[in-house]
Amino acid sequence: MQWSLPKLVPRSAPVILLVLTLAAAVSFAAVSHLVARFTANQQARGRKLYVVGLADANAAHFDDAIAAFRAALTCDPTNSQYQLSLARALRDSNDPRRLDEAESYLIALWQRAPQDAAVNLALARVAAHRGSIEDATRYYHNAMYGVWNADPDSNRNKSRIELIQFLLKEHAPDKAESELLALATALPPDPAAHLQAAQLFTQAQDYRGALAQYEDALRVEPSNAAALAGAGQAAYRSGNYAAAQRYLQAAVNANPQDANSLQLLATADLILRTNPFHSHISDAERNRRIATAFEQAEKRLTGCAQQTDVNLSLASSSSTLSSLQSRWSAAKPSLARLRSPAETDLPDSIMDVVFQIEQQTVAPCGQPQGLDLALLLISQKREAASQ
Amino acid sequence: MTQPMGTTNPATANPAATISPQPSPQSPAVRLQIPRRLFSTLEGVFHEEVFFLILSVFIGIFSGLAVVCFRLAIDWMHLALLGPLPQTHSWRLFAVPALAGLVVAALVLHAFPTIRGSGVNQTKAALYIFNGFIPFRTAVGKFICAALAIGSGQSLGPEDPSLQIGASIASALGRQLKISREKLRLMAPVGAAAGLAAAFNAPISAVLFVIEEVIGRWSAGILGSVVLSAVSSVVIVRWFLGSEPLFRIPVTTFKRPTELIAYAVLGIVGGLASVAFAKSIGYLRPRLKALPRWTQYFQPALAGLLVGLIAFLGAPQIMGAGYDSMDQAMHGQYAWKVLAFLAVLKIIASTVSFVSGTPGGMFAPTLFIGAMLGGAVGDIERIFFPQLTGSTGTYVLVGMGVLFAGFLRVPMTSVFMVLEVSGNYEIVVPVIVANTFSYLISRSLQNIPIFDLLTRQDGLILPSLEEDREEAILRVEDAMLPVPTTILSAQDYVDANARRVHDSPDSTFLVRLHPSGWNVITRDQLQRLFQEGKGELTLGSVLPPQSLPSLYPDLPLDSALRYVNDYPLVPVVNRANFHQLEGVISRDSVFKKYESPERVSS
Repeated sequence: MQWSLPKLVPRSAPVILLVLTLAAAVSFAAVSHLVARFTANQQARGRKLYVVGLADANAAHFDDAIAAFRAALTCDPTNSQYQLSLARALRDSNDPRRLDEAESYLIALWQRAPQDAAVNLALARVAAHRGSIEDATRYYHNAMYGVWNADPDSNRNKSRIELIQFLLKEHAPDKAESELLALATALPPDPAAHLQAAQLFTQAQDYRGALAQYEDALRVEPSNAAALAGAGQAAYRSGNYAAAQRYLQAAVNANPQDANSLQLLATADLILRTNPFHSHISDAERNRRIATAFEQAEKRLTGCAQQTDVNLSLASSSSTLSSLQSRWSAAKPSLARLRSPAETDLPDSIMDVVFQIEQQTVAPCGQPQGLDLALLLISQKREAASQ
Repeated sequence: MTQPMGTTNPATANPAATISPQPSPQSPAVRLQIPRRLFSTLEGVFHEEVFFLILSVFIGIFSGLAVVCFRLAIDWMHLALLGPLPQTHSWRLFAVPALAGLVVAALVLHAFPTIRGSGVNQTKAALYIFNGFIPFRTAVGKFICAALAIGSGQSLGPEDPSLQIGASIASALGRQLKISREKLRLMAPVGAAAGLAAAFNAPISAVLFVIEEVIGRWSAGILGSVVLSAVSSVVIVRWFLGSEPLFRIPVTTFKRPTELIAYAVLGIVGGLASVAFAKSIGYLRPRLKALPRWTQYFQPALAGLLVGLIAFLGAPQIMGAGYDSMDQAMHGQYAWKVLAFLAVLKIIASTVSFVSGTPGGMFAPTLFIGAMLGGAVGDIERIFFPQLTGSTGTYVLVGMGVLFAGFLRVPMTSVFMVLEVSGNYEIVVPVIVANTFSYLISRSLQNIPIFDLLTRQDGLILPSLEEDREEAILRVEDAMLPVPTTILSAQDYVDANARRVHDSPDSTFLVRLHPSGWNVITRDQLQRLFQEGKGELTLGSVLPPQSLPSLYPDLPLDSALRYVNDYPLVPVVNRANFHQLEGVISRDSVFKKYESPERVSS
């Protein structure tokens, strides 16, 4: 090997650096052009694979979709949409081992754009898959307050509804309730949205909230049969039987085949007709209702005793039914004193006996029907009001 | 263009001398003079050290651009030859690497014979043997053949070729600019760092690897250039290809110190796997090279066929660099049996690909094997000890470092590589523990590191940092004689000193100077001074005004060699108190130590 290098650079250093700078600039431009062309080709290839992957994912062929999305990502590794779709496919493939990878993709996307609502929603669903209420709530909230590319209001409501459904599924009704209240204030004047919200309120056993949503839906579309039926049921469950009767009657008028509404309407009618504590009835009518209820309670007690083979005539029996029978018998003479204006507490004490009979016969003899059911519901409403 | 760098042109050295008569600022003469002045000022600034540093940035830029093109070439080859979505049981899987192997073999044998072997070793050889010379043809050949081989699915990685492409570009640039021989030697490692940093997208690991494996020593002079080139190449790669890491790092955790035992087990398994991998390469490579030349046309093709068959039969993950599969392993996509199986298959595939002479590197296969092994060991450990908190991703990452430390024998780089790739310092302790076990096991079962083994098989002997680290160094204290019983004082009279040496068996004496320092005098010199009637003078006033150099006990014995010929005795003093004499060194004591049997054995 021939080597005879001089000690110093035999050229002017500034000129060399100038030439090197120019060479670097030219090389940079050339590589930029090359990379741009290559990238464009790759992106086109990636888009094709992505479309294949989407079709597979829509057909629930998640393994194929994952392979296609992976291939699309090898063509365009930084494409957020592909990463998001791959993460979703990994998550939806129902393979717990894939949740980690899905989360990893999503975390990377989240770090790049923490405000991206779609990424937060996907992360929330991963957390929901894991049953992590805290993480899921956090990411769902991020999604609600994040940036949506299209239709933000609708997407925000959908995210909140998803969170509420998740919380209800995870038996966290208190948290669901607060989300429902927030949802109620943000709903558009759309009967379908109100109906959905009302159903969620019903699932959370907040019947007043549900009734309010049904009424909102009816304000937009007064003849909506589902809203009428729902409002009737919600009013019925919340103890507002007058409203229930009104809505259920309208629901039945709108849809005479609605058996559930018919049945509830019958009970609501009965309650309104037999409730002795109704404020707009005369004393005579109240006394008549008390007497009817008292007789009905006796029938319920006797029927229940027969059903359970309890002999009510045996004084020595220590069963609940016997004890109720004793109380009923003790109260019977006081019926005659109902007309006396001095006996102001008497209606309550007589009806207490009736209510105890209706309530305590549920356990041994099952849910009552007809007037017994009406009396039971009146008792429950009265109890709730006193609390 | 003919002015040597570092010198100045007399005509431009003093610009004021050339400006006569004084022109107005707007005159054409001034407009010409301003660039000349600037030019001469710049020229004064660019002495060779500064120039070399700036050149390092350009090396990084050019290497980065080359590596970007190289990666695109591999991707393009892969898509063109195997398609974007390779299916298991497709004929392409074994046909493509086999046919590509034939083409690669023909290119290597006829057009680019210098590209066989490891780029690391060729860069090292350029540094130590060939004065920094790496033919530019090597870069071209490595680019084409490695892109074809890796793109077609041979079980090799792009990092080593990237390293060599960077080194080759740097060497060519240095030769073209006719820089000094001393600097030209260093060009190749600077380029190598740039190439490796661009390939790994990890500048710190690249710098450490080049220092640890290629240069073999820490030197402030080269460190700046290596860092600059590595950083600039990474900037270029990130500009074009984005700053995405090689892997999407999962959540990695290390909670309980007792879990270090689990990582130590991984280190032991990784160390054994490293030895198996290195020994299989060390055993097969010379045997295949010794086969008749015509077989070399078919060796890469047969290797490709074997790799393709493995892929065809159900393990396409082992093809190419395998970063996607590592990524999936990191996210728990494979059961432990699959992980272990892939590790074994990759050892086989990468061994046959490499020993067949197919251009390509061992970095990616090392990481792949480590990743799969780490995942498998971690999963097995968690079956027996469910209380272990480390995720599969954590074990996969640690496993990568383990193989890096055990197979490539670069313990420091292996630790930093894992940290840099993961960006997570929580796992630093598991990585260090596992890597240490792996490194120690590999070193005890495989005396010669893989890179040294390959160079020796190629007939070269290059310095090794590992050997340097383990070489016993003789120090001054090893050859030091005890403090002499008779030490003279420069403040005493000559006759008093002469009386003191009268009964001493020594012939040479140290003289303590005032306030500090040492001198030396022989018995004859002292007698002569006494006979010359200088007995009533202080010894310090008649001695030549010099102070002996002092040594410290911990200095290398080599450093004593420069003094023992000039002075019969050299004092060895304490570092904390230089007045305190620890002993003396003489020429005989030094030479005796070098000749001693324990020195020969070490």
